[in-house]
Amino acid sequence: MNEKQELWKSLLGFLALIAVLTGAPYLLNNIYYLNVLRDVIFWVALSVSWYLFSGLTKYVALGSAAFFGLGLYFTAKVLNYWPVLPFPVVVILAGLLNFTIALAVGLISLRLKGIYFAIVTFGIAEIVKVIFDWWEIRITGTLGTYLPIFSDITTYYSILTTSLTSLVLVTLLRRSKFGLALRMIGESEETAAHTGVNTSLYKTIGFAISAACIGLVGASCITISPYTNTRIAFGSRYSFYPAVMTLLGGAGTPYGPVIGASALSLINEYLSVAFPQVFQIILGALLIIIVLVMPNGIMGIVEKFKTLGSREGEKKKED
Amino acid sequence: MLDILIGGAILGAIFTLVSIGLNLQYGVTRILNIAHGDFMVLGAYLTYVFVQSLSLSPLAAMVIGAPLVFLLGVIIQLAIFRWLVRLSKSAEELEFRSLLACFGLSFIIQNVLYQIFGPYPIGNPCLDQAINVMGQPCRLNMIVAAGISIAISLALYFLLRYTRIGLIMRATVEEPTGAQIVGINIYKVHALSFGLGAFLSALAGSLWSTIYLDIYPYSGATFTFIALTIIVLGGMGSFMGSLAGGFILGYLYYITYKFEPLLHMAVVYIFLLIMLIVRPKGLFGR
Repeated sequence: MNEKQELWKSLLGFLALIAVLTGAPYLLNNIYYLNVLRDVIFWVALSVSWYLFSGLTKYVALGSAAFFGLGLYFTAKVLNYWPVLPFPVVVILAGLLNFTIALAVGLISLRLKGIYFAIVTFGIAEIVKVIFDWWEIRITGTLGTYLPIFSDITTYYSILTTSLTSLVLVTLLRRSKFGLALRMIGESEETAAHTGVNTSLYKTIGFAISAACIGLVGASCITISPYTNTRIAFGSRYSFYPAVMTLLGGAGTPYGPVIGASALSLINEYLSVAFPQVFQIILGALLIIIVLVMPNGIMGIVEKFKTLGSREGEKKKED
Repeated sequence: MLDILIGGAILGAIFTLVSIGLNLQYGVTRILNIAHGDFMVLGAYLTYVFVQSLSLSPLAAMVIGAPLVFLLGVIIQLAIFRWLVRLSKSAEELEFRSLLACFGLSFIIQNVLYQIFGPYPIGNPCLDQAINVMGQPCRLNMIVAAGISIAISLALYFLLRYTRIGLIMRATVEEPTGAQIVGINIYKVHALSFGLGAFLSALAGSLWSTIYLDIYPYSGATFTFIALTIIVLGGMGSFMGSLAGGFILGYLYYITYKFEPLLHMAVVYIFLLIMLIVRPKGLFGR
């Protein structure tokens, strides 16, 4: 009963959030704030998608840029060559393409663990970028792609739609048996295998779904700027930021990536206009501080204060 | 054909030096320093500063710059990685946390350099003339750099093999606990090795900058991956592995660069992936 009530509560909260975000362009009535909000939503979606696989299984993937860029580039090229296809269809196709490619990548790379997995995924992102560079220079003879121009409102809604789709998908999966299996793999892969979880199957599909969500968000990003090239689309920040944001927020809870992504993207927004390099330096310092001082991120500190605040929590801990 | 033979060998000698610092750091401290390439770039920039301000020859300037990087390496080991070793409960946790800390370091070094020097590539041109090697025109600075690389690699080999410090380092690798029992301060050894690795990276970066004038603040990642591929190929922590891996990759890189310069890094990455998946221990790994 209690559980059901909680479920309804969170569902209502979620619906209210959707309503507020949908109405935001009219509530804010300011293009600048709308774009800031769009960026926050966008980074939250990327971080949560990253968290679905890497946060739950603790297999740290640093190759999100490959899937983000693939989604973006695929959509850009298709819109250029076959403008008859409606935009939403292309975005969905981009998600499916990412899913298939990530299945193959996962099959190869998920045999590795720990830092080796991280290195391999990072390498894959670079390979994809180099191959696209080669393709553009040697075969098409163009650098980058021009795109149709979208209004800020359209941009906001398309990114909101893909982000919310990813968020809902991730949330549902995390709460399902599937999410439980992924979390179990994160706790102890051997135990999971012993209890009958087909670990490699779950890992590969989890990786593919996470990549598909990232690609979906990436595909909708073609609405942001009327030009894109490989350096923009496959920028290594799309690999690193989701990881850093999740770790800052706390990789132990689903709220971690949301909090971390909101905080960092706002700091980025504040600093990136005048000092983009300073933001990167802060990010680097933050990574070291997270690793040294707060391994469980902001949520870890919040939890600590909660348990310190209530004596009940203290007692429970002792028990 | 002959130019591939010579060019690949020269590049291989330089690559050996590129990888050896990372290999030493990983071998002794078990910390995979992803910021390795950024230490190389830092070394090259320090050399650049001394060349420009004191109008020294690059070969002399790097002798001043590299010890500074050594100090930086020691300080970083003491300030960050020593604490990480104490804080981490398991080897995997340490690996993972130090990986993130290294990425943090890499961000900091890259962007501080960008902030100071801007986005333009730099180089320290030196001995830029052609000479004949077996009837094949070669750049003198490449041959000098290859010679210095071999000399430094051999010096390191003798240091590890035949001196007291080398013995202490090897003891720390083989038996950290046992080494402590016989009175070795392994934390000092770790700091020293990390610094030495950074020192070697700085030399490698400076030598690279005398040949290719393409060093810019963000070129560290490329070097890191070249070094990583070499030590994965040869076996992590193996000196001979670094040598063999360096030459294999040197030839591979030279050949792909000759036929399709746009894809040379893709070949390095694909090679790294294949090695990691097929034989993660490397050719000389135990």
